[in-house]
Amino acid sequence: MSGVYGQLVFQQLIRTLDNYWSAQGCHLSYPYEIEMGAGTMAPDTFLRSLGPEPWQVAYLQPSRRPTDGRYGENPYRLQRYFQYQVLIKPSPADIQETYLGSLEALAIKPEDHDIRFVEDDWEAPTLGAAGVGWEVWLDGMEITQFTYFQQVGGLPCQPVSVELTYGPERLAMYLQNVDDYRDLMWSDDIRYGQLRFQEEKQFSQYNFDTADVPMLQQLFEMYEREATAIINSGLPLPAYDYVLKCSHTFNLLDSRGAVSVTERHGIILRIRNLARQVAELYLAQREELGFPLLDT
Amino acid sequence: MSVDLLYEIGVEEIPADAVLPALQQLETNLQQGLTDLGLPPSAISTYGTPRRLAIIAQDIPECQPDSVDEHKGPPAEQAFDEDGNPTQAARGFAQARGALVSQLEVRDTEKGRFVFAEVHRPGQPAAEVLPDLLRQVTLELSFPKTMRWADLDIEFARPIRWLVALLGEEILDLEIAGLRASRTSRGHRVMGEKRVEIPSPSLYLERLSENGVIADHHQRQEMIVKQAQQLAAEVDGRPRTDADILTEVNFLVEYPTCVRGSFDPRYLDLPPEILVTVLQGHQRAFPVEDADGELMPKFIAVTNARPEAAHVVSQGWERVIVPRLDDAKFYYQHDTRQPLGQRREELKRVTFLKGMGNLYQKTVRLEQLADWLHQAVVSEDKQLRSVLSRSAQLCKCDLVTMMVGDLKLAELQGVIGGYYARASGEPEAVAQAIAEHYQPRSPQDPIPASPAGQLISMADKIDNLAACFRLNLIPTGSADPHGLRRQAAGIVEIIIQTGYSLSLSALIDYALQLLPAPAEDEVPSNEQTAVALKEFFAARLAAAWEQRGVSYDIARAVLAIPWDDITDATRRATCLADLKGKDPEAFVDLVTAAERPARITRPESLPDSLQVDTSLFEHPTETLMSTEFEAVRQDVEAALDQSQPDYARATEYLRSLLPTIHQYFEDVMVMVENERLRNNRLALMAQIDTVFSRIADFLQIVPPNS
Repeated sequence: MSGVYGQLVFQQLIRTLDNYWSAQGCHLSYPYEIEMGAGTMAPDTFLRSLGPEPWQVAYLQPSRRPTDGRYGENPYRLQRYFQYQVLIKPSPADIQETYLGSLEALAIKPEDHDIRFVEDDWEAPTLGAAGVGWEVWLDGMEITQFTYFQQVGGLPCQPVSVELTYGPERLAMYLQNVDDYRDLMWSDDIRYGQLRFQEEKQFSQYNFDTADVPMLQQLFEMYEREATAIINSGLPLPAYDYVLKCSHTFNLLDSRGAVSVTERHGIILRIRNLARQVAELYLAQREELGFPLLDT
Repeated sequence: MSVDLLYEIGVEEIPADAVLPALQQLETNLQQGLTDLGLPPSAISTYGTPRRLAIIAQDIPECQPDSVDEHKGPPAEQAFDEDGNPTQAARGFAQARGALVSQLEVRDTEKGRFVFAEVHRPGQPAAEVLPDLLRQVTLELSFPKTMRWADLDIEFARPIRWLVALLGEEILDLEIAGLRASRTSRGHRVMGEKRVEIPSPSLYLERLSENGVIADHHQRQEMIVKQAQQLAAEVDGRPRTDADILTEVNFLVEYPTCVRGSFDPRYLDLPPEILVTVLQGHQRAFPVEDADGELMPKFIAVTNARPEAAHVVSQGWERVIVPRLDDAKFYYQHDTRQPLGQRREELKRVTFLKGMGNLYQKTVRLEQLADWLHQAVVSEDKQLRSVLSRSAQLCKCDLVTMMVGDLKLAELQGVIGGYYARASGEPEAVAQAIAEHYQPRSPQDPIPASPAGQLISMADKIDNLAACFRLNLIPTGSADPHGLRRQAAGIVEIIIQTGYSLSLSALIDYALQLLPAPAEDEVPSNEQTAVALKEFFAARLAAAWEQRGVSYDIARAVLAIPWDDITDATRRATCLADLKGKDPEAFVDLVTAAERPARITRPESLPDSLQVDTSLFEHPTETLMSTEFEAVRQDVEAALDQSQPDYARATEYLRSLLPTIHQYFEDVMVMVENERLRNNRLALMAQIDTVFSRIADFLQIVPPNS
C-alpha cells in the first residue's frame, strides 16, 4: 500500500485540500492566531456561520488541547495538532459527493475502500453550539467530522452551514502507511517528529506540570472582565479574542488538574454566556450593515 | 382496475437505529391513509437502507369509490318558516355543505327534527389524492432527533435528496423540500450508477440490485450472516453475531461485504469482555469464536465496500482495531500493578453527585445498606456478611482505573472491577459480586447470579435513587439522564426473581437517612422524597407485572391498597392474573362478589368503631350472610396469616360468598330510613369489603366482557 500512496507528504496533503476546495468556490483563509481547541472556534466559522450571509471558506487551524498531550510519546495523541476546516453556507445539496471528491483528490478512490457516514452528532458546550451529522469512516477509521450546524452561540442557524473537519495527521498516517505521528513525512525531507517532538514534550510538561495555576486563574478572571467590557463597548470581534483566551486558559487549568468536577460546569457556563453575547452582538451589527455579503 | 404504488425517500445517511422505526411509521400511516381515502392496498412492504426509506403498496384501486357525505344541519323549525320556505339558516347550511336548498331533507332524530344534506362525492383518481397523502406521511415521520438543512423550513433525520413516487408507471405530482418526485433513484455510491431509472414499482428491487443496492433489509441481513459464517468457517470458527449489532450494521450498508481481519494472539490474554467491547462496541465488528466458544484472534467487519476491495479494506480495519486493543492491554497492565483495594482512598477525590459527597462516602453507605439488606432478607450468614462488606468497599474502585477511565470502555465498569479484584487476590465471591453489581443493565440483562451480587446491586441502586430524588433530580417525560427508571426496575426485578421479602418503605427510609443533608434549601424533605420514591417504584412494579401478563387494571387494583413488600404484592397480582387467565368466570364471580359491598359502603362515612349487632338482624338472609362471612373470614385469615400467604385459596373462599351476597341484596334493603338498622347493615358490608381488600381494591378492575 505504501508504494501506491506513500508519496503524499503532509504539506502536500494540505496543499491538495486547499486546491480542491478553492476550486469548489471556497476562499482560502489562514489560521487564526489565538490558541483554540478546534477549527470551529475560529471567527471564520464561529461568527461567519451566524446570519443569512452566504459563506464558503477553507483553512488549516492548529488546535490546542492541553489535556491530550502525552509528552510526545503516544503515537496518536498530540496536544497541538491540525484541523483542516471547510465551512459552506447554505449547505449545498451535493455536499457529500463534493466531499468524496476531496478524498479522490487525495488519491483515495472510494471504489477501493469502505467509506461510510456513521451517525455522530456534535456539541460544543462552551460555544453554545450543536450540530447533526456523521463521522466519516475510511476502512473503519474516523477521518472527518461532517456536521450540519443547527445552533451557534445559542442562536439557531438559519440558513444552515455545513462544516467539514478533516484530521490531516490521521489521513496522512493512513496514506503514508505509518503508525506513529513522528514517522509522518512532512515534506520529502523532514518528518513530523523532527519538527514537532520537542514542542509536544515541552508543552506537555508545561501544561501538566509547571503552568502557574494562580496566575492562570487570575488571567481567566481578567480575560473574562475584558471580554465583558469590550462587548459593552460594542466591539464583538475583539471581544471574541478574549472569549478564546478564556477558553484556552480554562483548558490549561484543566490539564493542571485545577478544575474540580463541580467548578467545571460553572466555568463552561461563563464562557458560553460570553460567546452568546458576542454572537448576538455580531449578528445585530451585520444586520445594521445590511448583511453586506448577501449580494456576493 | 388496481395499480401498485412505490414511494422512496432518498436521504443522506440516516442513523442506523432510526431506519426501522421510520419504516414502521411509514407502513402504519400509509396503510391508514390509503384506507381512509378508500384506496386500500392488498399488501404493503417496506425497504430500508441508510440512504433510502421505501414502501410499496400493492393493488391500490386507480380511483376512489363514489361516496355520500351526510351532514346534519339546524333544527327544522329554524330552517323553514311557517310557510315551509327555507330561511337564511337553511340557505347558509346548504351553501356551506355544497348542497342545493332543494336537496335538504328533514328527518326525525332522537333530539327532534333536523335538516340534513346529502352530498354525493364522485371518487377522485388515486393519482390526484396520493401526493397529499405521501407528503403528509413524510412530514409526519418522527425521529429521535431531527435537523434542518440549507435554507429550508422542514425537519427530518438527515437531508432529503431525492424522491421517487410512482403509481404504476406514472410519476406522481409531488414536491417536498424543494424536490420534485421522479422515477430516478440512485445506486450504491461505488457499485452502481448515480441515476437509476425505475420503470414501475414491481421493478424497484431489481433495478436497485443491478446497481449494487440490496434495498430489502431482510435479504441484506441474511447475506451478512451467511458471509460472516463463511469467512469464519474458513478459519474453523464461527461469528458471534450479537442481535443488536447485526441490526445496526445492517442499516449502515446498502450492500454488505463482510471482511475478515486478524490481530496478534497475545491480545487474547485480555478479559474476553474487553475484546468483545473493543470489537463490537467501537468498531461494530463481530468477534470470532472457536468450537469451544473461546475467542479467536480474528474479527469480521461488515462493510459497504465492493467485494473486490475486501483485502485493502480488511487491512485498514486491522490498523484501526490493533491500536485500540493495544490501549486496552496497556491499561490492564498499568491498572493491575496496584491492588484494587488500595484505590479506595482515591475515591475520595471523585464527586458522586453534587451535594452528595464523594464516591468513598458512597461505598461506606453501600456497606451499611448491604448489611441492612442482608439482615432483612437472609438468615444470618457470617461468610456472606463479610463478602458483602468487602464487595461494598471495593465495588467502585475500578472507576479510578485507566481502563474504565477510557470513555469507550467505561461501559465495562463492574466487569473490570471483578477482574481486577481477582488479580488482587480477593475472594472469588467478592470478585463476582463486584462484576455483577450493575446488573441488570437493561431489561434484557439478567439479574446478578450470586446473593452478594444481588444485595450489592440493590444497595447501589437504592442509594442512587435516594440521592437523586433527594436532590429533586426526578425523571420527567422521556428524560432520565441518571437512568433512574432502569435502576428502580432493576431492584424490582431482583426482588421478583429471588422472592426476597422486605419492607420497601424501610429500605427507602434507611437509604435517605444515610445520605448527607443537601446544601440547598430548595430540595424536598426526606418525607416527601420517600413518598415520591415509593410512587416511582409502584410504576416500575406495574410495568414488571405487565411483562409477566398482569393486566393494567389488576396492577392498579393490587397497588391501590396499602403495600410495602414487592414480593407479597407480586403474589397477589399474579394470583389474580392467573385466575383471570385460567378461569375467567371464577374471576368475574370474585370481582362481582367484592364490588357490591364495596360500592354500597364506601360512599358512606361510617364510624370506625361500628360493630355488627346480630340482634338487629330482621331478615333470615342477614343471619345467613353474617354466619357464612364469619366462616369465610376465618378461612381467609388462616390462608393469609402465614409466612407464605396462599392468595389462591383465599380468593376461592371469598368467591364462594357470591350467591349469598346476591341473595342478600335481593332480600335485604340496606339503605333504610332507620339509622341503627342501616348502619348495622352497612357495618356488615364494610367488614366484607375489608376482607376482600386484603387482596386488592376490586373496584379498580375492569371486568372482562361486561
